[in-house]
Amino acid sequence: MSYAHITLPRLLLSLGLIAVAVVLSRRSRLGLERDLLWGAVRGAAQLIAIGYVLLLLFNHERPAWVLLLLGVMLIAAGATAARRVEHGPRRGVLFPRAIAAIGLGTVVAVVPVFAGVVPLHPWYEARYLVPISGMMLSNAMNVVAQVFERIFASARVEADQIEALLSLGATPRQALERQVRATLRAALLPTINGLLTVGLVALPGMMTGQIVSGTAPEQAVRYQIVILYQLVAVAAVAGLVAVAFARRLLFTSRAQLVLPQAQV
Amino acid sequence: MTSTLEGRELVVLREGRRILDGASILVRPGEAVAIEGPSGSGKSTLARTLASLLDPDAGTVLLGGRDAREIPAVEFRTRVAFLAQQPAMFEGTVLGNLGTGPRLRGKSVDDAQARELVRAVGLDEEILAREARTLSGGEKQRVALARALANGPEVLLLDEPTAALDPEAGERIVALLRDLRARGLSMVLVTHVEAHARALHGTLYRCERGRLLAAAA
Repeated sequence: MSYAHITLPRLLLSLGLIAVAVVLSRRSRLGLERDLLWGAVRGAAQLIAIGYVLLLLFNHERPAWVLLLLGVMLIAAGATAARRVEHGPRRGVLFPRAIAAIGLGTVVAVVPVFAGVVPLHPWYEARYLVPISGMMLSNAMNVVAQVFERIFASARVEADQIEALLSLGATPRQALERQVRATLRAALLPTINGLLTVGLVALPGMMTGQIVSGTAPEQAVRYQIVILYQLVAVAAVAGLVAVAFARRLLFTSRAQLVLPQAQV
Repeated sequence: MTSTLEGRELVVLREGRRILDGASILVRPGEAVAIEGPSGSGKSTLARTLASLLDPDAGTVLLGGRDAREIPAVEFRTRVAFLAQQPAMFEGTVLGNLGTGPRLRGKSVDDAQARELVRAVGLDEEILAREARTLSGGEKQRVALARALANGPEVLLLDEPTAALDPEAGERIVALLRDLRARGLSMVLVTHVEAHARALHGTLYRCERGRLLAAAA
């Protein structure tokens, strides 16, 4: 099956879409022009680069290279999730924890699927492993970033509630229960909304891509269903692990609330 | 059963400053201790340290002669109750608030106990059905006291319970504390109002620059 090729001039034509946003930003004095342009250039550059990396990887498929690429993706996801957490601890404290939460969530979502649902030959088959792991890492990154941002902020705002509970003999888990519940609900909501509206509002990117490039829609749909379920698992596991780390950062071993110093 | 609460040579450092500078205090069973002093003198830090909400950088807190660090936090805090200056009310009714402590340990407060608790802090039973967050400052202070009493504590630590109240409501709280003390509860009252400290009719300390001095009678 053939598909419409995007030539380079045509690709440049699509920059007009960014121009629309830039013009709107300038007219409404949003001051986002620089961010928009930088984002457009950087996003394109990153995608073009990964395109070549994937091409190389498919031609020289070795486990070490595949794992290295996944490692780089994991580090980038962890660094992003640990960035700019306004009321949280330093980035250096959050970064390894973000890596662990994102990594664990991704492993739980990816390993069983490649073991039982989409068997790979060989086990490091990059064509499947890289894009699907990438989607999981990205979802985990968003969930972990949300958890960190929200839990430290709510602990600060509701410190008197938390200490009142501790004073009545609550364990840290009990004292932080309300904040944890609100945080996890908020962090998981986009993934759950995705489940509810998929096909009605949005056709997911991977499925669209597969259909456009010639895969039978029925198979593309099956892949997408598996991925949706993986996204749910990755969000739940990464969110819970991030909450567990945040709780340990918020309380001492003697169940005292310690709010991280405000970040500059 | 009540135990002695003791703070020995407590030191708390914050950004190089000695907030507590070797403060020592002894609260015997059934004793009432009032600590007065200007704001910034370290008295609230002392109350929070005695409540184990804060670890001292040096010195020891002892309950019944045992180092507080050896007592599980949950046990310590059910035996030593701490009330903040403006106690946080939890979402829900006063009745729900009163049951919070016992509920944390899988127990509950029945209606008769709840009525007894609100009466003990000088409130009408009708208050049980009201939303806790809509109460006045004085009412909240009393509900917080009743909520702490529901745990059956041995010692009460009160951090400026009258600071956010009008003078009349403040005096009523002190009268209530005297009343509770008469029933055998030991307590530490931290206040910047000297008259309130004296009105407790207990041992009186003055807090100055992180140290406790016996106040002149």
